[in-house]
Amino acid sequence: MSPAAAPPRDSVDRSAAALLVVEQIKRSFGGVTAVNRVSFTVNRGEMFGLIGPNGAGKTTLFNIVTGLTAPEAGRLHYRGEDITGLSPHRVAERGIARTFQNVRLFGELTALDNVMIARHVRTRSGLFAGVLGLGPARREERATREHAAALLALVGLADRSDERARNFAYGDQRRLEIARALALEPDLLLLDEPAAGMNTGEKRALSELIRSVRARLHLTILLIEHHVPLVMDLCDRIAVLNFGELIALGVPAQVQAHPAVVEAYLGDSV
Amino acid sequence: MATFFDTYGFLLVSMVLAAVLALTLYLPLMAGQLSVASPAFYALGGYIAAILSTKVFHPAPGLYPVSLVLLEMAVAAVVSGVLGVAVGLPALRLRGIFLALATIAFVQILGVVALNLDVTGGAIGIFGIPQPFSDQLHYMWLAGPLLLLSMLFVGRLERTRTGRALVALREDELAAAAMGVNPTYHKVLAFTASAVLAGAVGALSAHFINTWNSRQGTFDTSVNLMAFVLIGGSRTFVGPVLGGLVLTALPEALRGIADIGGMPVWLAGFLREGRLIIFGLLIAIGTVFFPHGLITPALLRRLGRRGRTSLR
Repeated sequence: MSPAAAPPRDSVDRSAAALLVVEQIKRSFGGVTAVNRVSFTVNRGEMFGLIGPNGAGKTTLFNIVTGLTAPEAGRLHYRGEDITGLSPHRVAERGIARTFQNVRLFGELTALDNVMIARHVRTRSGLFAGVLGLGPARREERATREHAAALLALVGLADRSDERARNFAYGDQRRLEIARALALEPDLLLLDEPAAGMNTGEKRALSELIRSVRARLHLTILLIEHHVPLVMDLCDRIAVLNFGELIALGVPAQVQAHPAVVEAYLGDSV
Repeated sequence: MATFFDTYGFLLVSMVLAAVLALTLYLPLMAGQLSVASPAFYALGGYIAAILSTKVFHPAPGLYPVSLVLLEMAVAAVVSGVLGVAVGLPALRLRGIFLALATIAFVQILGVVALNLDVTGGAIGIFGIPQPFSDQLHYMWLAGPLLLLSMLFVGRLERTRTGRALVALREDELAAAAMGVNPTYHKVLAFTASAVLAGAVGALSAHFINTWNSRQGTFDTSVNLMAFVLIGGSRTFVGPVLGGLVLTALPEALRGIADIGGMPVWLAGFLREGRLIIFGLLIAIGTVFFPHGLITPALLRRLGRRGRTSLR
């Protein structure tokens, strides 16, 4: 269970089932090692949970996968392609979408515009075709609008498409952010604490939403979450990080019983 | 009416050109980039037109052909665009106030270069730039369509894929990149579009003003453009256009009020000469109470809704 000695390079899973392979990823900030030689494989269609105490390096790992932070060492493979060090928009082009721990919506813009922006990599119209309103550009614009409206309906915000994102309640902002990420038509969706700040009812609704979206869109999901019941309930497999190290990896029941996990969460005193 | 146009022909065309220049500051700002470089491209465009029309084309006496003015505007636009890409690529790596400072430096450098070259006429500049019209008001035949086309371009842009990418960068560059928007490409695109437009306006202005020297397109112009955009509005193209039109007319309007008479001498004097103080006050008040300017998308939506309901 616990990662034994670092596996040799060849041991990286390149099977057809592997969508994202995280291989020996390392990153430190100043003297603090935020992520230390972490390796795991996310399989196609899987719901993969990433848990761990505050400061365990979960969000840093997300930032590395999406190109916002460069790793010091290690490689990332997505669909067999080495995506290490690609800039964020290149990563997004390949079908990796994410939400943010602190919600990063385009606050001044309407909910619809927020989602339409994320159609960027799935649309083609250039500057002049768009400005001149040529036929294909106009059709694409209409399709973009319809697609975005459908996604707002999917997350239950259909009737609020013209409201500015910053006026939404926190839980609604999180759902809007999910709709925006889905507009990218990702294969891999990274959700960074989607249930943070939600009450129990909202959390239940959210986990239903994640479940249904995943089934409908055949998504692979990588999920960071603090709310352990939600993770245990949703995820097929879970990786546990503590102080930047991968301390456990397995199905929920295994992970829950793992002594290192119990210690990390509850401390030595138990 | 005829006397009105006789008296105010110069002012009306100046207002329209100011509105187009305000749009050149607005374009990079759409992508969240405070660049005040467009006066430099405006100056460059003016020199290109001045040099071409006085030293290269050797026009026959009489009115200068409008087609040559259009050609000069095209040349100025292309040259500015190329320089725009060259300057934009390194400059737009800078963020926020550093980009503003770098573009101020660019404006200063171009001014110093113009002041010291022979081809630009040094400190005296280039004068006697040939006139395509017998009346300054007639410049409206070029300035008017230029403003309308620019407004159409920027207004349409706001509703397209490219425009949305720019606005996304303004709102949150990191989130925009994570959604697949290429930040560098779009920033340089907006910067270059601004340079192209500023160059074209400069070329037209050189004829309109009749002389061109290093006092055109300086940092003072940058400040004026910022006032147009900050007071008019920085979240929709309508803001800069109205800002440019109104604030260019304002000093004349104030002078008109001062001439009515019956007011204390100091007040009349202030209205006549206090243009910079009034601009400064407006910017200060504006940024405190209307951080996005007077004309905002929300205001336009409200007006649009009222318009529609009153039609019913």
